[in-house]
Amino acid sequence: MKTILALLAGAALALGATAATAQTLKTVKDRGELVCGVSKGLPGFSAQDASGKWTGFDVDVCKAMAAAIFDDPNKVKYVPLTADERFPALTKGEIDVLSRNSTWTLEREAKLGLLFAAINYYDGQGFLVRDARKVTSALELDKSKVCVQAGTTAESNTKDYFAANGMTLELVTLPTSGELVKAYEDGKCDTLTTDVSQLYALRLTMAKPGDHIVLPDVISKEPLGPVVRQGDDQWFNLVKWTVYAMINAEELGVATNTIDAALKSQKPEVKRLVGNEGNYGEELGVTKDFVVRIVKAVGNYGESFERNVGAASKLGIPRGINQLWSMGGIQYAPPVR
Amino acid sequence: MMPVTIKTLTFAALLQVGVFAFATGASAQVGPRGGPGAVMDIDEQPGLTAPDDDVAQLDPQFRHQPVYFRTTEKPGTIVIHTNERFLYLVQGDNRAMRYGIGVGRDGFQWSGLKSIERKAEWPDWTPPSEMIQRQPYLPRFMAGGPGNPMGARALYIGGTVYRIHGTNQPQTIGYAVSSGCFRLVNSEIIDLYSRVPVGTKVVVRQQAAL
Repeated sequence: MKTILALLAGAALALGATAATAQTLKTVKDRGELVCGVSKGLPGFSAQDASGKWTGFDVDVCKAMAAAIFDDPNKVKYVPLTADERFPALTKGEIDVLSRNSTWTLEREAKLGLLFAAINYYDGQGFLVRDARKVTSALELDKSKVCVQAGTTAESNTKDYFAANGMTLELVTLPTSGELVKAYEDGKCDTLTTDVSQLYALRLTMAKPGDHIVLPDVISKEPLGPVVRQGDDQWFNLVKWTVYAMINAEELGVATNTIDAALKSQKPEVKRLVGNEGNYGEELGVTKDFVVRIVKAVGNYGESFERNVGAASKLGIPRGINQLWSMGGIQYAPPVR
Repeated sequence: MMPVTIKTLTFAALLQVGVFAFATGASAQVGPRGGPGAVMDIDEQPGLTAPDDDVAQLDPQFRHQPVYFRTTEKPGTIVIHTNERFLYLVQGDNRAMRYGIGVGRDGFQWSGLKSIERKAEWPDWTPPSEMIQRQPYLPRFMAGGPGNPMGARALYIGGTVYRIHGTNQPQTIGYAVSSGCFRLVNSEIIDLYSRVPVGTKVVVRQQAAL
């Protein structure tokens, strides 16, 4: 019966239902679990281990939502999706939310009828070089041979960036990421370029990862975040404020190991965040202490970042632009008040 | 030379347990690594020895590297984020050179705006009187050199008893061990020292208090 209802709800949405009829939160509560679309396997972002357990930075968003709704991060059904499958799965109502390293673009919102709830990872194109070259900026790459995957936006971005900065380059295009790495390691190019998160993943596959560094420059915008269907503002808000809860928790010093102290804090902004003042969680359709539930389940934004993709993970991606706005990055959440 | 060497070796044993501190409140701890077998390699001419390749012993994230860093502070400013265990030397154009540091233990952490008032190579060490009171076994004076806990270089933070200094113990980088000072491995402090003139602004930032 529940399945039939879900299918009907999905069909209604596909036919262009309005906000009045879309009640994703109620559907999720009645079903007893969240259905979350994720990547089939992307180290650090979403991956399934041998026992079937899902982990990763994108998976943490699903867990945080389940914690906020059910006080149980495990009440999630994961639907692994390819790049082609991901948006149709969302518009057809097969998943409640998509948390799968997807870039926020105008077309995806306006043409596909979607809404990106928040940016939880600022990705963008960067450059990998041999540490021994002692290069510290992409502006020092004049006259370089640049390895890039053929047919990607990275190819045109690279030409634009070099032209805009009065530099010349020799492009070496390769059909696959495997060949990209090989060409670079064989010395056929001075630098390798693709999205920064991808550079760190490719570096892991190299013979001596420690011999290469990723330059701090990010030359394109690839803002990633969870996505919902249009037509359900309450659900859109809940996804958005789940991400913002994690970011605000980090900014205010509320973490897994400080959550008990945070609950006793007399600072007004901390009291509002943990639900000791105001009624914010209930206004979102969950409970007053939803942020406490989230932090206990997955930690704050910084904890989730470091554990999955940051210094505590194999990838070792620096916070960089994903550091808080107050700490040198651009990660910024509106306040809880 | 001999008496000095013995004294240095005794002190080296203390160094192994990381009890040294420069200003306030550090209580003595005797750990298992400070046993009689702990010997520090002091060569013929202390103070003139170049550090070993200590950077290689650091976790890669704590080696100095250019990073994205958005700030309103001017290029040349030092910004220290104690909870991250990073020191940033602002370079403008949204970037900074980032160094891994060891910081003060909880309770001795501090924040504020200061500046570098003095620089010294292979600095001597004169523990402040309040520290001698608490740790009477500490030397009253120790000449600069490889066995000195101040390490290869020191940047003195004006108006405080704190410094940004070297250490020959790479394993302490990334942890809260000193009493408020900021420590880098010797080759890293030598690199930073060469980039930072007297008068450099130092901003120390803490994690938000609950």
